[in-house]
Amino acid sequence: MTELIQTIAFGLLVGGVYALLASGLTLIFGVMNVINIAHGAFLILAAFLTFSLWSWLGIDPLAAIVITTPVMLAFGWLIYELTVRPIRRAPPSSSVLLTFGLALVLEAVMGLIWGNQSHSARPSYFTESFHISGIVLPKAQVYACGLAAVVLACLWLFLARSWTGRAIRAAAVNPSGAELVGIDIVRVSALTFAIGVGTVGAGGALVSVLYPFLPGSHYIWIARLLGIIVLGGMGSLRGALIGALLLGLAETFTQTYVSAQWATAVPYAVIFIVLLVRPHGIVGMRLREDVAA
Amino acid sequence: MSGPTSRLATRALGALLAFAATVGLAASCGGGGGSEDSGEPIKIGISLPLTGEFSQPGTAAKQGYQVWAETINSQGGLLGRQVELDIKDDASDQNTVVADYNALISRDQVDLLMGTFSSLLNLPASAVAERNQMLYVEPAGGAPEMFTRGFQYLFFAQQATADHQGDLFVDYILGLPEKDRPQTAAYPSIDDPFAIPVIDSIKAKLEDAGIKTVYEDIYPPSTSNFDSIASAVKSADPDLIAHGAVFDDGIGFIRALSKVGFQPRYFFETSAPSGAEQFSNGVGIKNTEAIFYAVSHTPEAKTPGNEDFVAAFREKFGGLPAEDAADAFAVGQVLQTAVEEVGSIDDQAALADYLRNNQVETILGPLEWDDTGAPQGQFLIGQWQDGKAEVILPEEAATTDTIIDRRPGSD
Repeated sequence: MTELIQTIAFGLLVGGVYALLASGLTLIFGVMNVINIAHGAFLILAAFLTFSLWSWLGIDPLAAIVITTPVMLAFGWLIYELTVRPIRRAPPSSSVLLTFGLALVLEAVMGLIWGNQSHSARPSYFTESFHISGIVLPKAQVYACGLAAVVLACLWLFLARSWTGRAIRAAAVNPSGAELVGIDIVRVSALTFAIGVGTVGAGGALVSVLYPFLPGSHYIWIARLLGIIVLGGMGSLRGALIGALLLGLAETFTQTYVSAQWATAVPYAVIFIVLLVRPHGIVGMRLREDVAA
Repeated sequence: MSGPTSRLATRALGALLAFAATVGLAASCGGGGGSEDSGEPIKIGISLPLTGEFSQPGTAAKQGYQVWAETINSQGGLLGRQVELDIKDDASDQNTVVADYNALISRDQVDLLMGTFSSLLNLPASAVAERNQMLYVEPAGGAPEMFTRGFQYLFFAQQATADHQGDLFVDYILGLPEKDRPQTAAYPSIDDPFAIPVIDSIKAKLEDAGIKTVYEDIYPPSTSNFDSIASAVKSADPDLIAHGAVFDDGIGFIRALSKVGFQPRYFFETSAPSGAEQFSNGVGIKNTEAIFYAVSHTPEAKTPGNEDFVAAFREKFGGLPAEDAADAFAVGQVLQTAVEEVGSIDDQAALADYLRNNQVETILGPLEWDDTGAPQGQFLIGQWQDGKAEVILPEEAATTDTIIDRRPGSD
């Protein structure tokens, strides 16, 4: 029984962090129909920024979120204006190519600045754990998962309660209709892209503590995050949360009860099966494009 | 002839002359190395994983190659010619590494090759060199399957293949007094052609000696969460863990063991602990204590040229060289010896024959190979002690008399 609870705890802690990392990716797709392949590279960039703040200035990596989030938000806006906006009306495949190219450029730049070597932040609690009735809860995972929940809650409140958030949701559901009622779609897209990249400012800070990383680590992350948002339903924040928790649980359950060797294959097999039953993901909206058209 | 016919003939003649001139120029410049007294630099082609999964050791290997090139150039070059390295980035990808070596040989027409990093990449890369009948000395790539293909031009510039990496460690464990000998062992490993043979070999020998296997599993290279694996190992409660790692996974697993609050009495890990400061920075100094690992090089070794290598490395890059940098430097020494002894770079088969039949002095110690290009020596065994990487075995190469026989935090 202890082993089962332990496995669930690990899965939820991992999944909670995955949810934050995937939230920006799904938000950008939902509003802009852009599959941001550079999302993993933005994540690693934020992890490097956090690492530098920790190693040079001694700032706790999790506290560094208050710096990395606005920095990445501004960076996201800049990237949107310089690269994504010019191809706004191009087919989605163009944005895939563009953002893949961006990822490669970012990887090279990170290699030049920080070197192609493994990095990881090591605050005092990085290998410490809470022990509750035989269950181990790594402190870094608990803090990271808690912060992810706070950031996701803030994001949800912003989207649900603020005028700008409603404009973003309107643009996601029906861009033409949103434009008709006076919403500036270009500005909303820029803001969405910036917020999407801003979320990895927080996510990168968490990654810097939890996992060793190097510039090339973005490949692993983008594959995992795409899997999450496809599972949950592309464009849905709630779907990203559900998909992330399911993937986290699938990984840890496979490692514990099947074999670590299957820890990559089993979660993607789950995604495959879910898509066979629900091709639009668990909570995806199948008719969005039809409505918008 | 006159008119169009004449112009056609003139153009045809011109084209023929241009073709002849091109062929002549190509013959005088390139192909298999050219003459030794041409005065032009000797071009050496290398592809390394400078980005992607293996960028950590790939970058270190590049540093080692660069130090070797600068050293030999400052000494007057190879056969009196300066050495020029043409280094490409294979992004840790098997397809790219093949494309790189094909391009180096066919398009860039390099004179010599040096190997890439990891068995995973050297497997296809060495096949390209073999097909083109070019000497291929590799700084990593000790998987036994590398040497079962009947290759004539492949040589591994370390002391032994992967399946012998843990030999001295096993000897040490089996030589312990009965009360200190582990009774149980766990064998987690990354799915990697180098790491798995090391762990398989250790497991087979320890099982033969009666040490019970209580956990074994292989995880994919994309694994980043090790908490569940560490938790499962903790449940098995082994006295000894032999972990097959590359780098990041080695760090992640050690951190995860600390998080779940478990330390075995004996902990052996492949590759990652030989990463000098990169390793101790990753896991934290206090978590390095008493970790065993196999290693091909130590900065303190009294081998020929080692002191100069370490000094040159420190001057160029700062800090101590990682093992992978030293291995790359040793590749340069092997290549240099073969070329100087044969006296030419034209006949690559002669270079290979020389290496098959002779011992070469390197900063790793003397290296010699069997007919398959597999080295015939023995790895060193290192242990992290008080924040410093020490060599503990064999005794004649040891940098300390102390061997810590209990990892802090173990029962």
